[in-house]
Amino acid sequence: MDKGELVKTAALAKLKLDENEVETLAIEVSAMLENFSMMMEADVEGLEPTTQTLQQENRTRRDEGPIDSGDNLSNDLLERVPEKEGRFIVIPNVI
Amino acid sequence: MKKYKEYVENWEKKIGSFLQFDPEKAKADSSSEGPLKGIPFGVKDNIAVKGFDMTCGSKILENFNCPYTATAVEKLQNKGAVVVGKMNMDEFGMGSSTDNSALGETNNPWDTSRVAGGSSGGSAAAVAAGLVPFALGSDTGGSVRQPASFCGVYGLKPTYGTVSRYGLTAYASSLETIGICAESTAMTRDVFNIIKGIDVMDNTTVDYKPSGKDDSNTIAVLKVGEGDLSDDVLNSYKVSQQRITDLGYTVTEVELPTLKYVVPAYYVIATAEASANLARFNGIRYGLAEKGAETPSDLMQMSRHSGFGDEVKLRILLGTYVLRSGFQDQYYHRAQKIRTAILNDFNRIFEQADALMLPVFPTGAFHHGSSDLTQLQQKSADLYTCSANLAGLPALAVPSTIEKGLPIGVQFTAPAFEEERLFRISEKLEEVFPVQNPEGYSKEWNK
Repeated sequence: MDKGELVKTAALAKLKLDENEVETLAIEVSAMLENFSMMMEADVEGLEPTTQTLQQENRTRRDEGPIDSGDNLSNDLLERVPEKEGRFIVIPNVI
Repeated sequence: MKKYKEYVENWEKKIGSFLQFDPEKAKADSSSEGPLKGIPFGVKDNIAVKGFDMTCGSKILENFNCPYTATAVEKLQNKGAVVVGKMNMDEFGMGSSTDNSALGETNNPWDTSRVAGGSSGGSAAAVAAGLVPFALGSDTGGSVRQPASFCGVYGLKPTYGTVSRYGLTAYASSLETIGICAESTAMTRDVFNIIKGIDVMDNTTVDYKPSGKDDSNTIAVLKVGEGDLSDDVLNSYKVSQQRITDLGYTVTEVELPTLKYVVPAYYVIATAEASANLARFNGIRYGLAEKGAETPSDLMQMSRHSGFGDEVKLRILLGTYVLRSGFQDQYYHRAQKIRTAILNDFNRIFEQADALMLPVFPTGAFHHGSSDLTQLQQKSADLYTCSANLAGLPALAVPSTIEKGLPIGVQFTAPAFEEERLFRISEKLEEVFPVQNPEGYSKEWNK
C-alpha cells in the first residue's frame, strides 16, 4: 500500500499518524495485505458467506424500554465523561 | 490471607500477571455460600468487574474505573467465587505474547525470559503459578488456548454464544467468547457450567443443545506436514496421539484442506470488526481525552493517536481498508466464504469422528521481543486455533508434555455444544499426565 492510500485510510479511521508511523505502518500493512491475497487461490465457487455460525435468526426483545438493572448505571457512566456540563457531554465547537 | 498475599507478591515480582491485585475490593459482591465458596479467581482486564479498573491493556482506558460487572463474573460471584484481580493482556486482545500490553510485561512462570502467550497471558500465567485456581480470559483467535498451552494449564474456548459477552469489551464480535484458564479439567468444567446460558443482555447467546453423546469412540487427528511444527511440539503431538490410541479411542488421521486459508480469512474478519468496534474510543464519552482539540474530529484523532498502541493502529487500518468501498468483494466477502469452507471441512470430519485433535501452536513459549517469531509469524501461527473461532466450535487446550523445561499443550475440538465430550477426553488424559507445576509453586490460596 502506498503512503497516500495509508493516509486516506487513516483519515477514515480517525487516526492521526506521525511521519514515523506512516513509514513503518505502510510496510506492515502491505505485508498483511500480501498475506490476505493468499485467499485469492481458494476455490469459493458456489459457497454462501458465513456471518455467524449458530444463530438461525435475529433474537429481539420486547420494546419495553431499557432493562432496569436496579442500580444507577446511567449516572455512573456519566461520571466517567471527560468533560460535561450537568448531564450534557461537552465537545469542541463543531462550527 | 497474609501468607497468600505474600505468595502472590513474590511471584508477581517475577511474572507480572496482574494489572490490579486486591482480594478485598470485590469480596462483598460474592455470595458467602455456594459450590465455589471463597475460591479466588482472576479476570482478564477486558472483562468488567465493578470497583476494579478495566483497561484492556491500553493507555486509552488506563484510568477507567468500571461501573458494572459482566454476566459471567456475576454468575461466579453468585456461586461464592471471589475476584482477586485483573489480568494483564495484549492491548484489546490483539497479540500472541501479552507483549502488546501498554501497561506491563508478563513473563512465563516456567522461564521468565519467555512470554506467557497471549492475549490472555496474565490469566494463564497466574493459574500456572498457583496464584488462582482459575481465571477468565477471552478467545478471539486462540487467546485462551495458546497461553494455556505455553503455561501448562487447561484452556477452554466455549461454543460461540454459550457464554454471555455482556461486559466483555468488543474486539471481533462474531468470533470471540469469554473462556477459561484452569488448573484441572474438573475446575474448567465447573466454571463453564456456571457461566454458560442465555442472557437478556446479550442477544447472541443461544440455547444450549448438546447431543447427549458425551463419550467418544473415534478421535480424528490432524495430519501435520514436515516443518509445520517445531521439533518439541511435534514430539509432544506424537506422544498425545499415542496416549489417545492407548486409551482405546479409534484414531484416524485427517486433513483440513481449508486450513491454509484460515489465517488471512481470520485477520480480514477480525480487523474489519475491530475497526468498527474500536470506533467507540474517541475521547468523548470515556477514556483518554487529549486537551487542546479545536474540533470534535481533532479530539478523536488526537486521543486515538496517543491512546492506541502500534498493533491496535495496524489492525484498525487494515480493517478500515478491507471494508472500503471497492475492496469488500476481494477481502471481506471472500473471507466469509472461506469461513463457510472451514465449517464444511469440520462438518465432514465430525460425520466420521466424535472429536478432532490438533496442535495448539507450532512452537512452545518464545522469548520476549520478535527475535524468535516476528509479529507476522506470530499471526500465521494462529492457524490451528483460529479455525475453531471461524466455525464457532468449542475447543480445549490440554497439557501434553514438558519439553526442555517448557510445557506444551494439545488441542481438542468437537461439534457445537459438545464441551462435555472434550472434558471427558481431557479427564482421561489428565489421569495419564496430570498438570505439572513450575518451581516455586504452592497451593497457597487453598490454605
